[in-house]
Amino acid sequence: MLQSKIKLLAVLGLILAVGFMVLPGGVTAAAQTKGQVAMVLDVGGRGDLSFNDMGFKGLEEAAQELGVKTVVLQSASAADYLPNIRNAARSGKNELIIAIGFLLADAVNQVAQEFPKQKFAIIDSVVDQPNVRSIVFRENESSALVGALAAMVAAQDGFKKVGVVLGIPIPVLFHFEAGYRFGIDWGNKKYAQVTGTNPNVGLLWTYTGTFSDIAKGKASTEAQLKLGAGLVYNVAGPLGIGDLEAISEAIQQAGHQAGPPFMIGVDSDQDWMGGGNKVLASAMKRVDNATFDVIKSVVQGNFQPGTASQGLDNGGVAFSRYANLLNFINFGINANAIKEGDRGTIIKNWLEMRQQIPYWIWDAVSELEVKIMTGKVTVPTANTPDEIQAIRKQFPLGG
Amino acid sequence: MARLSAKLAAIPGLRPVGESSLAGLIGMILGALLLLLYKFNPLLAYESLFAGGFGSLYGWAESLANATPLILTALTFAVGLRGGLFNIGAEGQVYVGALAAVATGLLPVPAALRLIVTLVLALAAGALWGLVPALLKMTRGVHEVISTIMLNWIAYFFAFYLIAHTLSSPLNGSRTIRIPPAARFGVILPGTDLNYGILVSILLALLFYFLLWRTTVGFELRAVGYNPRAAHYAGMDEHSIGHWAFLLGGVSAGLAGAVQLMGRPPSYAILSGIPQLLNLGFDGIGVAMIGRNHPLGILLAAVFFGGLEAGGRTMELVAGVPLEMVRVVEGLILIALAVPELGRFLTYLRHLNPLELLSRQRRRAD
Amino acid sequence: MSSAYLWGLLFFSLHAMVPITLAAVGEVIGETAGLFNIGLEGIMLTAALTGALGATQGGWPLGLLVGLATGLLIGLIFGLISTYAKGDQLIVGIGVNLFALGFVAFGLTLLGSPGFYIVPAASRLPKIHTAVGNLSPLVLVAVILPFLVYWLLNYTQLGLKLKAVGEQPAAADVAGLRVNALRLGATACGAALAGLAGAYLSIDWLGSVTKEISAGRGFIALATVVFAGLNPLLTLLGGIIFGFFDSLATWVANIPGVKEAVPWQMISMLPYVVTLLVVAVIGRVHFPSALGKPYSRE
Repeated sequence: MLQSKIKLLAVLGLILAVGFMVLPGGVTAAAQTKGQVAMVLDVGGRGDLSFNDMGFKGLEEAAQELGVKTVVLQSASAADYLPNIRNAARSGKNELIIAIGFLLADAVNQVAQEFPKQKFAIIDSVVDQPNVRSIVFRENESSALVGALAAMVAAQDGFKKVGVVLGIPIPVLFHFEAGYRFGIDWGNKKYAQVTGTNPNVGLLWTYTGTFSDIAKGKASTEAQLKLGAGLVYNVAGPLGIGDLEAISEAIQQAGHQAGPPFMIGVDSDQDWMGGGNKVLASAMKRVDNATFDVIKSVVQGNFQPGTASQGLDNGGVAFSRYANLLNFINFGINANAIKEGDRGTIIKNWLEMRQQIPYWIWDAVSELEVKIMTGKVTVPTANTPDEIQAIRKQFPLGG
Repeated sequence: MARLSAKLAAIPGLRPVGESSLAGLIGMILGALLLLLYKFNPLLAYESLFAGGFGSLYGWAESLANATPLILTALTFAVGLRGGLFNIGAEGQVYVGALAAVATGLLPVPAALRLIVTLVLALAAGALWGLVPALLKMTRGVHEVISTIMLNWIAYFFAFYLIAHTLSSPLNGSRTIRIPPAARFGVILPGTDLNYGILVSILLALLFYFLLWRTTVGFELRAVGYNPRAAHYAGMDEHSIGHWAFLLGGVSAGLAGAVQLMGRPPSYAILSGIPQLLNLGFDGIGVAMIGRNHPLGILLAAVFFGGLEAGGRTMELVAGVPLEMVRVVEGLILIALAVPELGRFLTYLRHLNPLELLSRQRRRAD
Repeated sequence: MSSAYLWGLLFFSLHAMVPITLAAVGEVIGETAGLFNIGLEGIMLTAALTGALGATQGGWPLGLLVGLATGLLIGLIFGLISTYAKGDQLIVGIGVNLFALGFVAFGLTLLGSPGFYIVPAASRLPKIHTAVGNLSPLVLVAVILPFLVYWLLNYTQLGLKLKAVGEQPAAADVAGLRVNALRLGATACGAALAGLAGAYLSIDWLGSVTKEISAGRGFIALATVVFAGLNPLLTLLGGIIFGFFDSLATWVANIPGVKEAVPWQMISMLPYVVTLLVVAVIGRVHFPSALGKPYSRE
């Protein structure tokens, strides 16, 4: 199926328009029935393989399992947020309007007041209105886990550094950076405790200022690898495609098939990318589950406004494990990024990759996970430039 | 009949309007073919597109709200091109104007003067940013294509810096401080985005029309753009004329950034990643082209583009056609517009007068 | 600072140079003949998509070919409107850019993976392995091509003809040259190189297509042409300067301690500030006197 589409589109390179004939339309039209849910995306839109796509995944699952009709509204510019949300509310057809991303907060706040009977949900920001469900995540907790893993694996494999490539500096990304720094520090200490030598693994970090220029992701990752990083954490959505390019080339250059160096995935379980043996783990942010749950609450008639904080303890953020891999291979297949036939190889590669890491390291990650869940360890976070500056001072990590 | 068409032809501006409309029609038809190939229903798509953009008071309000900044950025490009300059620096000047508008909030200004002071500082900032390529061109001969592209990017990262530091909101790290209420344009039609900022755009378009067609500077500017050599021999000072074109362009684009922030609900602040300012400058180029680089044409073209964008959202909602289709259609319209044969086609239509044809044949027969 | 780091920076700069130089040297050919195509960005973007799909279907040779063909096709449309139809080149070019922005995003949506498309590893362009890093063969093409074009424009009959129709179309016409045909051929071939640059992005350098994969490189190429003053050799230099400082900004920003001293936003401005300074030092450059104007026999 995909092959035939691709063939058509390839021919299209020569005769631009004509080749599109056999392609089916992808988007379903809005229906007139009750039980419809609208999702409004931010300018990043679909295809970031992380945040927006996770929201869409939750919406699709709700459509399948709960039988709701869905409609997705993209935004070409930030000026579209308010009209998009308003249009969805004005139509009166949508039982729930879900806004994906903090950028939409002001718009949700306003339309929620204009349409007090309309139910809203917003991801990643708090909107204090009686008809809005706000869902925020404690990304610092999952980032702490991958930070600890990265530090210990780097030390084990003889690397002096780990890296992180971030997008535009926004409060949500500060959560990631703060948690990652804490986790690296924790991993260093744990490694010293187990082996008797403090590895002092340092951090290389950069804000690229973009969520769209893939080349910036590749350049940053390559620079970090050359500066001695053994693992690089992608916190810039689609730039991860560029990060993985750099990692794959480094692996190939060394004459290997699998990492190290490794990438660490973000938001969705990205472990399947690059063949299953280049992304060691992912710090998942279950926007899909949160979306599904809030739709379910509307369907079952127990929608609750207010703020939900999603962390490790309630599964809102998570460290990627085997069951997630199986689920997200389907995600990759649905996105046409991999083929059905790749499934076996990816699973085999992934298992081999994880087995080459000493078992005590996985135990240590689980230990930290439990401690965070039970409140024995509190992972610091940051919401403002000043707060992240303080965290950087607290965990300088050789920079 | 013949007399009617002759009369029609005598109305100034009718021909360019006709040509642009025809290009619009051809662009839409090509777009419809593409939609058909993709198995979308083009009739439903266009019906929802126009219903969304122009089918209701609400649609009109949204279209006009979208047009507000586009009018101003289109004027920037148009006044440059009229003066023989290829000024694609509106994008960066929009950022700078918006930054100045937000920064004005830090200054102690009496509430009664806040709106006007904010506008003045924003247009001054835009003008200053617009003067950099002017100076580079006049002193060093640097072509404005290269300098404006570079200055756009420099303004982009400069905006990122100010958003993260000086102008950052202490309450919310994802945006700047808000424009104070005293400096905001009120919403004209409640429940829409249309605000009094559009008056700034319309006034500036009229002012540009007056400047370009009713003053000496405007005449010289157009003369330099039309035929620089002749203008030179006529004793015109190309340098100072060039400065005028850049300066006016900067004023207009700076205001575009300010008006977008001061008028458009709901944020009244620059969000991280400047998503509400991106591409306003580049979209203005297309608007200027469809408006034939004429301030009055630009008013019409901006409303048309604004309507396509507003209607695009309805098209996505009703017909399920991805929003990107609007850009495809816009591009096709521009490509069609470039073909001057369209104009000749219009002329041909005018001669397609049966009586006249008959008399011509008779004459030939004689 | 290890030597691996410096080699890495050099190699990355070379790879960043390729799309800019390829598109710029193509534009030099077209502008020499008198046609100004602002649609490079749109051509690169479209060819990145079509090239990637071609490569997926028939391997990298087909991918490169489809990329070239896409550029050629858009160049022909642009050229036909700008020559025989005597249309406004600026408007067509801007139209191409707008069209491409929508077309690529639209096309990706209908492929099933809105927003991105990853080119399978087997369909990528093979790399040249060296002791200090992998090198794309297109780096060599981008280095050699400007010399070839320089030779073509300055030492061949065809080159002289192209210059003649760019500088003095009326005189060229009187001398029996087919002005419009020469212009059309030149701009179409130039656009094909922009298409190659687009295919390079997707099937070689970045291995993927996103709706903004060209990220402004077409406009940088346009600026490079101006910087070069239509000298093909200088497009190579311009591409290297920009590619180097663009890469340097990213690489320097990752060195511990640098961001504490200089904000990263300022570091990111580096390539643009440097380019501006360089062109300010160079000063005025010459362009064909008939550039951008359609030719019609009076």
